[in-house]
Amino acid sequence: MRMNTFVLSWQSGPLYWIVAMLCLTTAAHAQTGHPVSGTVQDEDGALPGISVLTMPSKQGTVTGADGAFTLQVSQGDTLVFRGLGYDQQQIPVDGRRFYQVTLKKNLTRVGEVVVVGYGTQSKRNVTGSVSKVDMKALEDMPNINISQAFRGRVAGVTFKDDGRPGQNGSILVRGPRSLSGGNNPLIVLDGIYYNGSLSDINPNDIASIDILKDASAAAIYGSRAANGVILITSKRGTTGKPRINLTAFYGLASRTKKAKLLSPERYLQKSMDARDQNGIDYDPADPTTYLTLSEAKNYEEGKVVDPIAAVSQQARIFSTDLSLSGNTDRTNYYLSGSWSEENGLVVHDDFKKISLRANLEYKVASWLKIGVNSMFTNRDQSGIPANLNVVYRQSPYGTWFLDDGSPTQYTVTEDQAVVNPLYESYYTTNLHLYDNLMANFYTEIDIPHVKGLTFRVNYSNNYRWVREYEYQRQDPHITDANTTSASKRNWNGNDWAVENILKYNRRITDNHAFDVTLMYGVNRTGYETTTASSQQLSSDALGWNSLELGALMTNTSEAEETFGVSAMARLNYRFKERYLLTLTARRDGSSVFAQNHKYATFPSVALSWIASEESFIRSVPAVNFLKLRASYGAVGNQAISPYQSLSLASITHYVYGDGGASSLGIYPSNMSNADLKWETTYTANIGVDFELLQSRIGGSIDVYHSDTKDLLVTRILPSMTGYNSIWTNLGQTNNQGIEIALHTVNVQAGRFRWSSDIVFSSNKNKIVHLYGSDTNGDGKEDDDVANKWFIGHPMNVQYDYVFDGIYQEGDKLPDGYQPGFARFKDLNGDGDLTADKDRTILGLSAEPDYSWGLTNTFTYGNFELSVFVNAVHGILGSYNAFDHFDHNLNPIRPVNMIDVGWWTKANKSNTVPSLTYMRSFVGHSWYSDRSFVRIQDASLSYRFSEPLLSKIGIANLQVFVSGKNLATFTNWLGTNPEVNSSYPLSRPITLGVKVGF
Amino acid sequence: MKGTTYVRIIFFPFLLSLLFLSCKKSLLDETPLSSLSTDKVLSTKSGFENYMTALHQAARDEMAQKDGSTYFYIMQAGTDVAAFGNSTIKNTDYHNLLTPSASAVEWVWDWAYKKMLLRANTIIVYAHKPELSHIWSNDADKNRIIAEARFFRAYTYNMLANLYGGVPIVDTIYSQPKTDFVRATREEVLDFARRDLEFASQWLPPTVDKSEEGRIVKAAADHLLTEVYISLGNYDKAIASANEVINSGLYHLMTERFGSEKDQPGDVFSDLFRDGNQNRSSGNMESIYVWQFEDMTVGGQGETNGNNRLRNWGPWYERLKDPDGKSGMVVVDSLGRGVGQVRPTNYFLYDIWQLDWDKDMRNSAYNMRRVFYYTNPESDYFGQMVEPKTSEIDTMQNIYPYPRKIEGNVGTLTHTSTSWAGRTYQDFMVYRLAETYLLRAEAYLDKHDKIHAAADINVVRARAHADPVYPADVDLDYLLDERARELITEEPRRRTLVRLGKLVERTRKYNIREITRTSIEDYNRFWPVPQSAIDANFSAVLEQTPGY
Repeated sequence: MRMNTFVLSWQSGPLYWIVAMLCLTTAAHAQTGHPVSGTVQDEDGALPGISVLTMPSKQGTVTGADGAFTLQVSQGDTLVFRGLGYDQQQIPVDGRRFYQVTLKKNLTRVGEVVVVGYGTQSKRNVTGSVSKVDMKALEDMPNINISQAFRGRVAGVTFKDDGRPGQNGSILVRGPRSLSGGNNPLIVLDGIYYNGSLSDINPNDIASIDILKDASAAAIYGSRAANGVILITSKRGTTGKPRINLTAFYGLASRTKKAKLLSPERYLQKSMDARDQNGIDYDPADPTTYLTLSEAKNYEEGKVVDPIAAVSQQARIFSTDLSLSGNTDRTNYYLSGSWSEENGLVVHDDFKKISLRANLEYKVASWLKIGVNSMFTNRDQSGIPANLNVVYRQSPYGTWFLDDGSPTQYTVTEDQAVVNPLYESYYTTNLHLYDNLMANFYTEIDIPHVKGLTFRVNYSNNYRWVREYEYQRQDPHITDANTTSASKRNWNGNDWAVENILKYNRRITDNHAFDVTLMYGVNRTGYETTTASSQQLSSDALGWNSLELGALMTNTSEAEETFGVSAMARLNYRFKERYLLTLTARRDGSSVFAQNHKYATFPSVALSWIASEESFIRSVPAVNFLKLRASYGAVGNQAISPYQSLSLASITHYVYGDGGASSLGIYPSNMSNADLKWETTYTANIGVDFELLQSRIGGSIDVYHSDTKDLLVTRILPSMTGYNSIWTNLGQTNNQGIEIALHTVNVQAGRFRWSSDIVFSSNKNKIVHLYGSDTNGDGKEDDDVANKWFIGHPMNVQYDYVFDGIYQEGDKLPDGYQPGFARFKDLNGDGDLTADKDRTILGLSAEPDYSWGLTNTFTYGNFELSVFVNAVHGILGSYNAFDHFDHNLNPIRPVNMIDVGWWTKANKSNTVPSLTYMRSFVGHSWYSDRSFVRIQDASLSYRFSEPLLSKIGIANLQVFVSGKNLATFTNWLGTNPEVNSSYPLSRPITLGVKVGF
Repeated sequence: MKGTTYVRIIFFPFLLSLLFLSCKKSLLDETPLSSLSTDKVLSTKSGFENYMTALHQAARDEMAQKDGSTYFYIMQAGTDVAAFGNSTIKNTDYHNLLTPSASAVEWVWDWAYKKMLLRANTIIVYAHKPELSHIWSNDADKNRIIAEARFFRAYTYNMLANLYGGVPIVDTIYSQPKTDFVRATREEVLDFARRDLEFASQWLPPTVDKSEEGRIVKAAADHLLTEVYISLGNYDKAIASANEVINSGLYHLMTERFGSEKDQPGDVFSDLFRDGNQNRSSGNMESIYVWQFEDMTVGGQGETNGNNRLRNWGPWYERLKDPDGKSGMVVVDSLGRGVGQVRPTNYFLYDIWQLDWDKDMRNSAYNMRRVFYYTNPESDYFGQMVEPKTSEIDTMQNIYPYPRKIEGNVGTLTHTSTSWAGRTYQDFMVYRLAETYLLRAEAYLDKHDKIHAAADINVVRARAHADPVYPADVDLDYLLDERARELITEEPRRRTLVRLGKLVERTRKYNIREITRTSIEDYNRFWPVPQSAIDANFSAVLEQTPGY
């Protein structure tokens, strides 16, 4: 009877184990007394897994899923309630039969439950390197896309996007490792692979995000885990009473930085200086000699256009989200719907999103649960944004609109150097919709008569549709030609996965416990797409709905599919609850590899020691918790498109004779590779987790070293082979780095509290081997200059000549050079500038030296202020504002440019070349440091007090104001140092409210 | 009862997964859903026809793949017959024009190896496979396919040898990476082309059906073989090879009006370059090899949407001001929309016609446009003749005389806006009989047989009603003058000059841009090897052309 209290079923929560450990020593004592019962809860509802002890009689139990407990007490006992993450509470036994206890959350983080893949674990017992995103810190941030949550907040995880509404951005865990294979982490949503866009997941639906970083943690997803795994768990019902939550926010956004184009005066100067430098005559008094006729007319009439203002719109953001959730005896439910709208900074860059979620779980019998996690999202990205690529080239004296208000085709019609950025946006109508329907059905069975044995089946299906329809209507100002065209593109993706998971939990003796997880699964990803296009429609009245009106119609279609088969086994073994061991092995098969290399096995091992459980540390009062971790293991990468090992052929057309029909042409398009196989990353990770000084300081430090072998590489081939490149396995890269995550409570005084979260990560990446050849016989392995891959250097580098100022008049000039041309260093001093001898590695092109993030949270009573600073250091970007011939447009022509100045005889710049200089002698780019420190997010919120609210039937009410991208400190000249894009970064200021009933 | 429920519930998922287990093997085998493979396609005769079509498409890409950087731009401008209309030093200064990272240098190299040679070698290698012998009805059947592919391979090597000098010879296809290519000598490359062409000449058909016009015929191989024999110094064989074309009975120079505009004002020379008049079925008996363009048909355009001769040679008249300083010209169909990239030199526009200005048909008003009229209805000068201009900015790019060969009907497909890029859908004669005569004349001249050389040149001159040349006046420079008169815009002038070793000398003499005349160096005769090819070929040194 007694022992039943300690027979733990896996789904009751890992906290059992701690309690069990504490209690087992006392279990043998015979005891008398009377039974009491009760429930334990916190502010969010029932608390399972809380240990309840009687002192001094030393009876023990843990609360069940509903927070309830029952145990025997003796006179004079005190009930002690303990749970990781909560302050301990003691209640003297006073004759009551029923105790309702509310525990207060404390500062510690080791008590958190983390999702580790195919199950959850207490953070205390995790042996690998796992980071948890603090969802609480994000609650007051107006994120429409959850990926924004990763930016700078998790050690070792980088996120970048270009700030456009609805864009996905990119995430890297511990830097890149594959030279050409995908470096995106695997996303697992509610336990199932998710290949859709992160922006399709409603941030308000997310209960937790956990990131598996080292090999041991990730190995259970072996085949796809080399780039880390992001586990996203959606919300469930937590309270018996139905709970309604409403969140809404609205904000306006402004531009963080405006590119500095030539002012009208500087533009005139440029036009004249360009003529001077090219030896072309002009009359400074007569603008028609250096401007085009239409520009000169606007100049004389005083008409000036600011090109950036002309393509801008008021940016706004709006979102509302409603959810209903609850947890009854048999049913757990969470239903939600959200609606978001965002207008970007650029005309017609608009975005709308609807997302719906239904999570249901039903307990059919005490041993059987069935459930479904499902979501549907519709993203609408219709509209053609103004063409930003040409904005910087627009003359301030251009003519943007015709008399009837419609845009001109070219702002300088005589030259047609660059199109009017608004033309396509105006004449083309487009429908661009993404639909995403995903459901994961599961059944969970506690196998009868075998305690601790459970079986779960997941079956998920994900349909994604993209509809991209557009038509260009007739430009009524063009009367002699048909300008219409229309097209429809339908893309259908379908992924499914089936997984069978068997788990067994067993405690053998007091000191030995283990659990085993076995998994076998099959998955498929695939898509098909059809595009039908039509040109010169006889009428534009029907848009894209009747393509057969076109005079020339073309169809294309494509399809791809990839299959995977996986089997996995994991053993967790705990000795004395302080020596932990995890062994994992996974065998994966993937269709994308060559015939004889479909399968690979990925093992890993992790050891962990909870030192704070040792008596010699327990006696140190400053140490609340201390765990040391070490792991080693292998994970694989299969992130390539299917069919790459095969020799493929492509299609073209030709027409023989006059008036003949199209003939089909076929030609070989890629080189086959019968040896294409898995890329494997071997990672060793050492880490420490700690909580010190009554948990005033807590955190983790991880150091890792990973070697990636048999890299999947698209290797550039000499064109003489007939091909551009081939997918192959070669070489080796190495990543080593350190990640520090700290949480501190700096001040706790009365109603005031100041806490900080600090993350720091630095990853050093280098290429160890490439082809293993030494063809020039210098005793060193060959570099691959074409790919800019150099042994001993990082994968992504800037490799170029070294800029050495500007040639001035009187300097000795090489053939073909003029004063005002860029000068480059003759590194080997042979008097010649040669590609093989004078180019060198200038810096890191993609991944930073190090990055850090700092969140300070100040709480005073019901007010909370949070400020997040994000910083990235040591990336050298290529910035071509110095290239006056950007896009090969001669500055003699009516084109604008970013105003970085230019060399003239009067103004002898030593940093910027003349207007005649093209990068033609050497294909040199211009570089600039992209390091930055940014005040990324700040929010101020106020939570109304409960007593006040309960009178009007409201459970909680919170209002907040927040801002993003508030200030950036950088030397980068472009609009956004984080990404090298011309899209302007916005600064939204948002007002929001959260209400719960 | 309860027990069976358990069993059912537990075992159903197991059965489900067994379903997947049982098909595990085939599940991971890949069959591309929407890509073909060479092995599959080249297992039937029609598959070889498909591969041949892709080879023809690649060959036309010499002109129609990329605007600007290639054929009608670099092949013509910066020589004796044409200068760059655009004044940027990147084009006009030879130190800038030809560098190992110049896009034209890289483009031609990549086009040759990644398109032409890959496709040609694939056909040649597969056609020789013994296991495919059953698909051919006889040797002739098989050899015709091989011959056509070998023609294209020779065409490509002849071009590479004349632009870059010696280049790596690739005569097969690779199934794994190779990074140790080395340059063969120019003679080895030309000799390789010779062997291909001798085979091609033997097995190609004399003519093709109307529905197959554009396919390679025997005369095309013989014509190119003449050029290659000359380059190899084998003048007798060159003459014999030209005789194969000239004496075949299939070709003669056109002397009577013919084709689509024969009833409209014009002459027989202008008829050769009117729309629809390039293929034999139009009655044109001098065309030998013709790139096919077709409006409003998939595959008829290439990536640049048609024949871009008009775009590159035509003046950018839209920018021309009238005497009031206002816009004088707007785009009109009859003139197309030129951008003045290739501006004929005075040598071509005036010098070479001096002796026969009025007599030589090729200088007639139907074949040279020397007079323009203002086209902007809003100009006070609308319809009036454009008076001669002298300022450099106008006459280098915006207004200058040009050969009317380049004019053609602007296609409806790209004619969708005022920005239609000025391309036509006129087929393009790569080889025609007039050039065969001039090649034979060159071979005679190389043999110091000025009498026969003059006779051949005079066949071409007679058709143009120009006075015959005296044998004593014939030399290589005269031959180049005649080629300019007859073949301007058709022959890749740069390649001809490189072949004859005359590029540097004549550019210094005749180019109208001073910076071009002074910057060209002796080493510019041959192009540099693209840096990208050198970088990727790291297992052996791919020597850079001396001087670069």
